Amino acid sequence: MGASLWPGNGRWRALGRVAPWLALLLGLLMVRLSKGAGFADAYALLSRPFWPGPAQREWVSSAASLEDQARLSLLEQDNQRLRDLLELQRNSGADSTVAAAVISRQPRGWWQQLELGKGSLNGISVADAVLGPGGLVGRVQSVTPTTARVRLLTAPGSEVGVWLPRSRRHGLLVGLGTHRPQLRFIDKDLDVRAGDLVSTSPASTLLPPNVPVGVIQSVDERAVPAPRAVVQLIAAPEAIDWVQVRID
Amino acid sequence: MARLHRQPGCVVTALLVPVLSLASPPWLGLDGVPPAWAVLWLLPWALVDGPVSGAVAGIALGLVLDGLSLGGVSQIPALLLLGWWWGRLGRRPPAIQRTLNLGLLAWIGSVTVGLSQLLQLLIQEGWSFDPWMRSWGLQTLLCQTLVTALLAPMLVSMQLLLWRKRGTS
Repeated sequence: MGASLWPGNGRWRALGRVAPWLALLLGLLMVRLSKGAGFADAYALLSRPFWPGPAQREWVSSAASLEDQARLSLLEQDNQRLRDLLELQRNSGADSTVAAAVISRQPRGWWQQLELGKGSLNGISVADAVLGPGGLVGRVQSVTPTTARVRLLTAPGSEVGVWLPRSRRHGLLVGLGTHRPQLRFIDKDLDVRAGDLVSTSPASTLLPPNVPVGVIQSVDERAVPAPRAVVQLIAAPEAIDWVQVRID
Repeated sequence: MARLHRQPGCVVTALLVPVLSLASPPWLGLDGVPPAWAVLWLLPWALVDGPVSGAVAGIALGLVLDGLSLGGVSQIPALLLLGWWWGRLGRRPPAIQRTLNLGLLAWIGSVTVGLSQLLQLLIQEGWSFDPWMRSWGLQTLLCQTLVTALLAPMLVSMQLLLWRKRGTS
């Protein structure tokens, strides 16, 4: 009886009932703001027994040597020209790679991303380039201590500056959700044709220079305001179990 | 009346949504597009537990899934709306339990989530889609709605059965 004389008691009891749920929502908000840090790390821990085996890793290594050969020819062509550019690649020698297993893969759908089994504890940071067998597959978009999320080149909103070694032209590789990204040019007069190799720019400071990306599949020269091309990526994200992350 | 949110065993099943979204088993997708796992969990939850619980669960799932994706677009508005709407439907007799009804509700839910994401992408792109992007959006929407609606009669019926039993016991 006495307790009912206090009008605030009911309100406090209601608040006490709601408090755990508010705490839960606050926790989930933290998950959202941290880009799923706790969840991604827990998933990496739980799924560790099912990660791809070392055989796939060796396969990636052998493919990486082929990729190095392609890069070598590109580097030889550009070497002389780059000598004139003052220290644009001064950090290229200091780059190192980290091999990481793909623990979650969403190559299609609304978000096109990979979740890697290594994160900031292994030196991976945001915007690092991610290479599959044959070439670039994307860039690191967010990291947790033990995982890293990669935005694929095919993902809507992905934009990467690329270079066409044969015609010596720059272009912008734009992800449209489809498995073949679009290459947009600035110039109207282009000497670009199907079969041309697309690589990262030799003068790139954001991405490792001279990394193969894909091959031009078709060119739409009548596109407005400038020609556009469809690019077939060399490294298909659907089939990749291991990747190499180029860390600075 | 059933109170699922007071039973930790039922609340914990929500963890399956982010786990399945991350695992993304390829044999449970259509042309590489996974089903809308959030819709498949939220539908029976809201039907059993009511509109407020459904809306809160929608927000909670949306927060986690937005955190686990690349970002740019959010699932929270659509899941909040669906949780509320399905909760209200669940309060009206007769109880929804036929497989066709569940499949249809899941299809509507998947379409709502997909269209809300497409709309957000469209706004981001300045109200004009590249034709390639438009075809990708429609194909993803079609695949996801189809596979979600096909899985719903099996999965949602099972969850409804279990949760209604737990709610009345």
